[in-house]
Amino acid sequence: MTADASFWIVQTLNALQLSMLLFLLSVGLTVIFGLLHFVNLAHGSLYALGAFVGVSASAFAGSYWAAFAVAPVAVALVGIVLYVALIRRMRNAGPMNQVLVTFGLIFVFLDLFRLGWGDIPLGMAEPDLFSGRTEFLGIVYPTYRLFIIGLGLVVLAALSLLLSRTQLGAIVRAGVDNGDMAACLGINVERVFFVVFCLGCALAGLAGAVAAPVLSVTTDMGTAILIPTLVVVVIGGLGSLRGAIAGSLLIGFVQTFGAVLAPQAAAVAVYALLAVVLILRPAGLFPARG
Amino acid sequence: MFHQTPLKTGAVLLLATAAVVYAFTTGFFGLELLTEVAILAIVAIALDLVAGYGGMVSLCHGALYGVGAYAFASATVLLGWGGGAGMAMAVAGGGAFAWLIGAVSARTHGIFFIMATLAFGQMAYAYFFDSPLFGGSDGMPGIARLDLSGAGLDLNDSRGYALFCTVLALLAYALAATLLRSGFGRTLVGIRANEPRMRALGLPVWRHKAAAFGTSGALAGLAGALAAQHTMYVSPGLLHWTVSGELLIMVILGGLGTLVGAVLGAGVLVFVKHEVARFTDHWHMVVGLVLIATVLSGGRGIFGQIEFLWGRRGARRPEPAATEGSPDHA
Repeated sequence: MTADASFWIVQTLNALQLSMLLFLLSVGLTVIFGLLHFVNLAHGSLYALGAFVGVSASAFAGSYWAAFAVAPVAVALVGIVLYVALIRRMRNAGPMNQVLVTFGLIFVFLDLFRLGWGDIPLGMAEPDLFSGRTEFLGIVYPTYRLFIIGLGLVVLAALSLLLSRTQLGAIVRAGVDNGDMAACLGINVERVFFVVFCLGCALAGLAGAVAAPVLSVTTDMGTAILIPTLVVVVIGGLGSLRGAIAGSLLIGFVQTFGAVLAPQAAAVAVYALLAVVLILRPAGLFPARG
Repeated sequence: MFHQTPLKTGAVLLLATAAVVYAFTTGFFGLELLTEVAILAIVAIALDLVAGYGGMVSLCHGALYGVGAYAFASATVLLGWGGGAGMAMAVAGGGAFAWLIGAVSARTHGIFFIMATLAFGQMAYAYFFDSPLFGGSDGMPGIARLDLSGAGLDLNDSRGYALFCTVLALLAYALAATLLRSGFGRTLVGIRANEPRMRALGLPVWRHKAAAFGTSGALAGLAGALAAQHTMYVSPGLLHWTVSGELLIMVILGGLGTLVGAVLGAGVLVFVKHEVARFTDHWHMVVGLVLIATVLSGGRGIFGQIEFLWGRRGARRPEPAATEGSPDHA
């Protein structure tokens, strides 16, 4: 089995697909942390919210693309409410209080999902455009999963350009590097925080809507993805885009290949990797600050 | 710094009396709840020891608790050891694992420490979830309770077991209080207050942190052994990080850094959960909202608020009062 080239190609694609999903989630989490110094454990719940909203939107409009468009907007709106009501005042409350409040939010979201959508796992149809399978390099692979990989790469490219080439990107980088100094130079840091937070929430919602056709939509899907996402963020280095990319690829590949090559050790391997990184490089592989 | 104030002593005596009175007046279901409270109180005390006094906020105490439960289960079921040896194994297992986590993570601070403990806890969870030796995701059934018939105690009776766990919870409190009043406890609080200064004074900081974390883990392991005997079954669910999160909720709800608060928080959370569950199965939302409200209202928690009000009452008197009421949580 393992000597077969197509096996390696298929598993590489699987790993890439998982990596891109993790990337969509972790990039929001990591930039929010880098800028706001805020740990949002409810980020996974926002992803689940995106999936649930997506299921409803696509059922209502009869098209996958409704979910694709509505989920990020809806989750960003919820993000605005959270920001105004909670996150703004928790910013200087220390990591433990942030962890506790957002842990409370996880519980609240969990029951809101159960009230709104019930306990039964939901499914969502793939878009017609990307249904079926594609044959290439001697393998057959679901087209929709290729779409996920492509989408992840597009978002990655767009974010890199945004961060490295635009004024907003420069402001964000300045804010991560030294928020106080950026504020002294006349930048409205508060407003940048707000924009970045909404963008992070929208990406989480997008990830939920994109993942919905591949995974079944359940109330605990948010807590299930949260831990790998946190692992990615910590391994990569809080606040760094390069770290989020590297961490997502690392975890995506370790988890996928671990699961097929050494199922016994796979689950432990991810955490062992995190432990090793934390011991050797406590600030992550690509820390945002020099 | 920790002081066994008259207020604390009074609260502990009151809680102990309430537990004993409750044990002799309630039925089977109430006794099950009391046992649960006593066991969780031990873990909450263990967590408050490191989080409230050592400044080491841990998201792996659920895992330490689970490791204790599995250590007891494997010693008694797989190795055929007696209950006492099993309990010792649980304490040693929880302590050793926690010492290791503490030693490795001592260098990290704040959110990185939380993440490191989360990683180690989930590592243990993933290990037990996938291990065929320990029953994998099915867990291990058929665990017997400690045999104390020689001392005239029947632990298979739910009242006997509830009282046994209550006594152990009291002992755990006494141990934690003694430890915090010793030089070791003062050092721990000193590290929380100003770690660079403690290092400058020539203190091997990591060794103290690891020792504190190990002690805390040993207590959590003891609680795990009690939990395994309570349900006579262990499953990987005990080690999941959300259990650690709920333990943190107990500590913050009761009052971080007060020790009595940990016990109170365990009691409040268990009873609220069961009371709310009678009216609606959405207890998660209630607990979540209560938690958010607690943190937003200043994060003192129930007993912390009582101590704060008590301290203010004293401050109105002419003589200067001890400024102990507001421990720094940051």
